[in-house]
Amino acid sequence: MQQLARGEINPGDTHLAHHLNRCLGCRACESACPSGVVYGPALEEARSVLVKKHPLSLLARVVLAVMADPRLRRPLLTLSRMVRPLARFGAGKSAIGFQMGMLAATHMIPNTGEHWANDATGSGGRLRRDHHEPRLADGPRARRGDAAVFRGCIMEGLFGHVNAATQRTLRANGFTISAVPSQGCCGALHAHAGLNEQMKQLARRNVLAFSRVPDAIIVVNSAGCGATMKDYGHLLAGEDLASEAKRFAARVKDVSEVLAAAGPRIGAPLEMTVAVDPACHLQHAQGVVEAPQAVLAAVPRLQCRSPADASHCCGSAGVYSLVQPKLSRQVLARKLENLDAIAADVIVTGNPGCIMQLGAGMLARGQQRPVLHPIELLDLSYRRAGYYAQ
Amino acid sequence: MTLPKQVLQALAGIVGSQSIRVSRTALETYASDGLPTHHRRPGAVVLPDGRDQVVRIVEVLAHHGVPFVARGAGTGLSGGALAGPDAVVIVLTRLNRIIAIDPSNRHATVEPGVVNVHLSEAAAPHGLHYAPDPSSQTVCTIGGNVAENAGGPHCLKYGVTSNHILELEVVLPNGEVATLGSRGGEPWGPDLVGLFVGSEGMFGIATRITVRLTPIPRQIQTLLADFSSVRAAGEAVSSIIASGLLPSALEMLDRACVAAVEASIYAAGYPTDAEAVLLVDVDGRDAGAVQAEAHDVETILREHGARTVRMATEESQRARLWQGRKKAFGALGRISPDLIVQDAVVPRSALPDVLERIADIAATYRVKVSNVFHAGDGNLHPNINFDRRNRDEFRRVEAASAAIMSACIDAGGSITGEHGVGIDKLRYMPLMFDGDTLAAMRATRRAFDPEELSNPGKVVPVHACREWSAARSLRRAEVVA
Repeated sequence: MQQLARGEINPGDTHLAHHLNRCLGCRACESACPSGVVYGPALEEARSVLVKKHPLSLLARVVLAVMADPRLRRPLLTLSRMVRPLARFGAGKSAIGFQMGMLAATHMIPNTGEHWANDATGSGGRLRRDHHEPRLADGPRARRGDAAVFRGCIMEGLFGHVNAATQRTLRANGFTISAVPSQGCCGALHAHAGLNEQMKQLARRNVLAFSRVPDAIIVVNSAGCGATMKDYGHLLAGEDLASEAKRFAARVKDVSEVLAAAGPRIGAPLEMTVAVDPACHLQHAQGVVEAPQAVLAAVPRLQCRSPADASHCCGSAGVYSLVQPKLSRQVLARKLENLDAIAADVIVTGNPGCIMQLGAGMLARGQQRPVLHPIELLDLSYRRAGYYAQ
Repeated sequence: MTLPKQVLQALAGIVGSQSIRVSRTALETYASDGLPTHHRRPGAVVLPDGRDQVVRIVEVLAHHGVPFVARGAGTGLSGGALAGPDAVVIVLTRLNRIIAIDPSNRHATVEPGVVNVHLSEAAAPHGLHYAPDPSSQTVCTIGGNVAENAGGPHCLKYGVTSNHILELEVVLPNGEVATLGSRGGEPWGPDLVGLFVGSEGMFGIATRITVRLTPIPRQIQTLLADFSSVRAAGEAVSSIIASGLLPSALEMLDRACVAAVEASIYAAGYPTDAEAVLLVDVDGRDAGAVQAEAHDVETILREHGARTVRMATEESQRARLWQGRKKAFGALGRISPDLIVQDAVVPRSALPDVLERIADIAATYRVKVSNVFHAGDGNLHPNINFDRRNRDEFRRVEAASAAIMSACIDAGGSITGEHGVGIDKLRYMPLMFDGDTLAAMRATRRAFDPEELSNPGKVVPVHACREWSAARSLRRAEVVA
């Protein structure tokens, strides 16, 4: 990359592109680097040069274009949601089967029964979908301030239940939620792929959208989005919006950070073992390590376990699972082995790509163990505690 | 590309097209090791997946007379794993299986690409560990440790790599597989394991390594002492050694190193206003005995003017203090783009004088020298920070390096403690050894590798006149025989 920057290697060099494209961009190296090299942005910079000579695959381009534009994204993801109940049956090891598995994995807490049957709170082991937005049963606690939840693209389209859980748990902890209608995709996937211009366009839109609620914390529940949004200040440096972008970046927090800092309200007990797999873009890119476990500590009797090699990537890595399927699966296989070693009822991870990757991996191996966002467990615990009036 | 096409085809046939690198860009990755001052692109790189592929690769190369260099994680600090355009680099990182751990006999058998710390992690459930702990242990491989006879902070008490290798399966430079040593104990005959360990890849490639495992000490106490002068810290080290105490580690960091570490994510809480800090481990079985020994060490440290002495017994505190030390080289990357980590040994009584001499040399050549090293062994690591793009600075750095080496030899020391000779220190070998000794070394090498195909041009200089003539007469003798 140094030689590329100095012009000693030609950006058209296929071998350079080959190796740089195979990097997951998990940024684990940053968590280990004594010299403090900020590798993630450097990789994105290099990829933005390379992508001009080595166009992305059609599949990746389509996915990125769809995510960037709500007119394409909304109908397509609605269609995906309609197909989703069937996706489970199509899930498997093949390329298509894996993608079906990824879709199936976006479903909310599945009602497969077996793992939830032991649940001490005795709600029959089945978790039903909650269609209406509940009111808070015992009124909000001490006012914590304003929060604006970043809805995202995939999060909005396929993980609406996680967004809803995020809002509910924040309210239950005394936050007031401000609506920000004109927000959109954060551009993280575009940045990872080297499409800097598209990413900047998306960033500008979000900076403007959130400038209408200047005092609200911008709460993100997707680690990948959070990492990129915390970097908007650098990404838009030198532009008209630079100072606004800096303020925006300073307001961005992962939902686990917000709740951990607030000292989350204790919920109802959940008698289960949870494997907590930290998302790379949370632990490495954002340096948020303790918060997810601190949030889950608000759920009595929940047993949290860390897998071996918790600092390793699961192979999802943005569009990596689509553009480098073979390597992505190899990385995943190791992660699944380590997760298997924990006899967990459920796996949680704070990033949509990881949920889909791990979920599809489980389904491909015929395992039904649910993969969830940690906030879904807190939400479940709060619901059992009666914090939400039905 | 100077390698014959049929050789490349044969190699691709052995390892598969996925595991051979020939493009200029891909080879760039292998053009340097941990020492940035040398740069050589090899003719090709192969990444075999096991011993059998290594054997077939070496057979092909021997048949065509193509030289080769084995390489592990590439963390070496003497240019030992570099190869020129006429040679092939054999990367062993895919040979990364821990084949067996035998807790009752306290040994483990591993492939050369196993990362040092992974072996200790695997042995930990049995209460055992692999004692040699180079600072790069989270990355460096056992194969590379064998080649360089690697050391580490805790080698002060537990010995270096060669004290921990029982048996080696090696692929000789003609492709033959031989077993050296024995896992059961001392074999009869010459100590071939002792000869092979530290031979820097000149005798062949180790493909299976049986190492001794050591019990994890039950009680460990770490002391951190800080001094207002480097000399005082050096004198404290000499006194501890002279007192007959045997700490398991005794390390020194000077002010510049402390500053770099404390600015990094591995900040250990070292006092940044000290001229030098000492990090000492005392270990043993019995808590009372360890405490008594730590107390003795503390007394000596205070006698020599330690401003504060902190004790840590809890694992997390100890780990933090040690992480700072082990990541110090990396942390120095904050100061400049390039770094030379030097390596020399001096008698421990000479430490205070040599450290002052090094500071003088740094001032004379106007270079940034910092020190972080195994003080208890007298094993110095003067580090020089620089920017390669500044030609003038680079020349001064090279000159300062040479001056430091001479100063260490003058003090009765040696040009390397644990990083090896490689290509970087070839030029200093004649300062240490006379022509006859060098010729004997070369003759030994030729006993293993008559064609000098395995890691050629390293360790033993071939340009010293007397050595040349000795080698020539040796060859004549062979012809006559």
